[in-house]
Amino acid sequence: MLSQTSLEHNEQKNEKGSVRNLLDRIHINAVLPMVGFIVILLVFAFLTDMRIVQPKSINLILSQVYVLMIAASGVFMVMTMGGLDFSQGSILGLSSIVISYLSFYNIILAIIAGIAVGAIIGAINGFFHVKFRIPSFIVTICTMFLFRGLNAYLTTNSPVAAHVSVTSYNVTWLKMLLTILVLLIIYLLFNYTRLGMVLKAIGAGETAAKYSGVRTDLTKFLVFTAAGAITGFAAFLNVIKVGSITATAGNQLETQILISLVLGGMPITGGSKVRFYNIIVGSLIFCILNNGLVMLALDTAMQQLIKGIIFVLVVALTIDRESIQVVK
Amino acid sequence: MDDIILRAENICKSFGITKAVKNVSMSFRRGEIRGLIGENGSGKSTFCSMLCGIHTVDSGRFILDGEELKINSLVEANRKGISIIVQEMGTLPGLTVAENIFLGNEDRFIKCGIKNTAAMNQEADRLLEKYGFRHIRGNSMIDNYTFEDRKLVEIVRATYFDPKILVIDETTTALSQNGREELYKIMKRFREEGRTVIFISHDLSEVIEYTDTISVLRDGELIDTVDSDKVNEDDLKRLMVGRELKGRYYRTDYGEPVSDDVVLSVEGLTVPGEFEDVSFKLHKGEILGIGGLSDCGMHELGKAIFGASENRRDTVALADGTRINSICDAIKHNIAYTSKDRDNESVILNETIRNNICLPSLDKLAERGILRHKKLDRFAGKYADMIHVKMTGINQFVSSLSGGNKQKVVLARWLGRDFDIIVLDSPTRGIDVKVKADIYTLMYELKKKGKSIILISEEIQELMGMSDRILIMKDGIINGEILRSPDLSEEDFIAKMV
Repeated sequence: MLSQTSLEHNEQKNEKGSVRNLLDRIHINAVLPMVGFIVILLVFAFLTDMRIVQPKSINLILSQVYVLMIAASGVFMVMTMGGLDFSQGSILGLSSIVISYLSFYNIILAIIAGIAVGAIIGAINGFFHVKFRIPSFIVTICTMFLFRGLNAYLTTNSPVAAHVSVTSYNVTWLKMLLTILVLLIIYLLFNYTRLGMVLKAIGAGETAAKYSGVRTDLTKFLVFTAAGAITGFAAFLNVIKVGSITATAGNQLETQILISLVLGGMPITGGSKVRFYNIIVGSLIFCILNNGLVMLALDTAMQQLIKGIIFVLVVALTIDRESIQVVK
Repeated sequence: MDDIILRAENICKSFGITKAVKNVSMSFRRGEIRGLIGENGSGKSTFCSMLCGIHTVDSGRFILDGEELKINSLVEANRKGISIIVQEMGTLPGLTVAENIFLGNEDRFIKCGIKNTAAMNQEADRLLEKYGFRHIRGNSMIDNYTFEDRKLVEIVRATYFDPKILVIDETTTALSQNGREELYKIMKRFREEGRTVIFISHDLSEVIEYTDTISVLRDGELIDTVDSDKVNEDDLKRLMVGRELKGRYYRTDYGEPVSDDVVLSVEGLTVPGEFEDVSFKLHKGEILGIGGLSDCGMHELGKAIFGASENRRDTVALADGTRINSICDAIKHNIAYTSKDRDNESVILNETIRNNICLPSLDKLAERGILRHKKLDRFAGKYADMIHVKMTGINQFVSSLSGGNKQKVVLARWLGRDFDIIVLDSPTRGIDVKVKADIYTLMYELKKKGKSIILISEEIQELMGMSDRILIMKDGIINGEILRSPDLSEEDFIAKMV
């Protein structure tokens, strides 16, 4: 309708801008995810009679969080640029299969191959997104189906089992160490090198970023590749946890990542308001929510319903309306 | 009393903590062309967008034809006979010209729930014919037309239903001379028919020439309403700024020789469909003006020099023969560029002033690849202060700045980069006199420091006032060269442009 004239947009931006600035100054947006984390923890602690904060439950929650958190950190970079990546689940599946095959020969080789497989799929995503100017969510949905098909084919006859020795790596300290290592590297790159600013600039205004000397196409290609490689690495943690890979490996990972990041306060459009802690807080909230609902012995349909409602509410509360293009 | 059509009574509007319009009361007569002037951020646009239902009024009221005006949207305003042509792009891409013209009023072509597209296109063509815009067709996509043609479509949309009040918000800067003439004709027709026009413009000579009365706003307050035939530009500037401004703000030196050192040579540069075989040399410390009508190819030329054009042919080279083939090449070799499309290409709106200023210089700011936040803060603060950006702090978002301040952020980021050559495309477009004067002063200082400037502009006065040498483009080729002289007149330019 007529109300879409850009004058109104500009003025509304100003209006919202000043309110937002005020919010920024008192850091409401910044603390909201933290508050959400604490509230959810308290609610479930209350509902489960403190069972969820017992060491056993915490261990369980942590064991689920590693793969999610590592894979989310790659998608985090993609989403900072304003892109989306739905191919992570199938990457995890395919990399896990490759790692399982190669675990019979050499575990280091297996890990490297897993990373390489992820990187190749990521590069395919990046190539089609950049070269043919296809929106990233469409490209990655295509690759999601493509490689999920391949996974199903490879696991048709029987699940692909890894060498028995891999489960010996399934120890908490190693998984925690590797997760912290990946997160630390991304934290440092994101906050103390050009990477973070460049990614945010692309998310907030790609054309202007290009005119500021950012190699936008190359950056996008590399980030998609890196996101794939990171999930390829997460596949190693997946293999040592589950031991054998079925056709459903990695199912839903992409939506879990998306939900985690949004719960962690990440603006779905990326841009300048992205913060690194979005990854950590988001994955933790997601896993607590997941386990809490299971502990409450709700049936799966009800769990889905509740997760859906929370997701919609969080998006509605936190979405950055001023940077969203009006597409009706 | 009877000929008062619209009365504004104590209108107030705030955005957050900023008071955009403070207690403004004024009356508009039938058959009056009222100029509305003021610096950027003085509240002109806000006042008019409240009149047109785009914003709600905080307090106060508008009285139209003796009745209080209660509207919540532009469509309602249109139905009450109020219409607006906005400053920035107001047409919607992906729709046809006809769909744009009748946006919100498609009902008249709908019978039993079915839209009669043929009738709509026919009616659009009839209107376009009537306005004399014969080259625009109702059934083609709006995207096929230039910025200026789209503006013409907007003019048709805003005026075809003969509104009682027409608001023209800073539209002429987007139009060439021909387009302006059309607009002036429409304004005069409105006056003869007893309708009212509210005309916002930064071009004071234009305001004086085409309006009956002029209201001056400053910091959201109404300063005065004066008769157009009793004031001159200096009077208006004084009212707008609140203090004496120097009568002229262009540079005043003539006959100073320009260095012979060539810093940039452009050879046979071509972008198919835009311009062809452009060659010139830029010297150290030279301000080279490039002028012409808005679609003569000069804006694309600016982009091409910066390496931003796709499918560009032949060369842009530095003095030592280094070719500039991409934006990264250009920036690496200290060439800077400010776009006419400021909001999309020059700044990132949804990003802080700090990051906007630092972005082009990140490679210089990083120490062994590591960025220190304090260093970035200091860097951004230094250059924002150097050029006096009006802001609450470097973490303010650029989207909340006025046009003039956005342009200052653009200049600050390139000053931080310490360029040797800068391409300024329409640097003062939509910017008030005060910031304009600042920009001209800065250009002169840069010239004195030996920086070379390519000034692309649609304002002949600006080109005459600032350039050492001016290339005039017409239909994609260079059609003449004019050297700096105090005796130039606009006619010399226009003869070569059209």
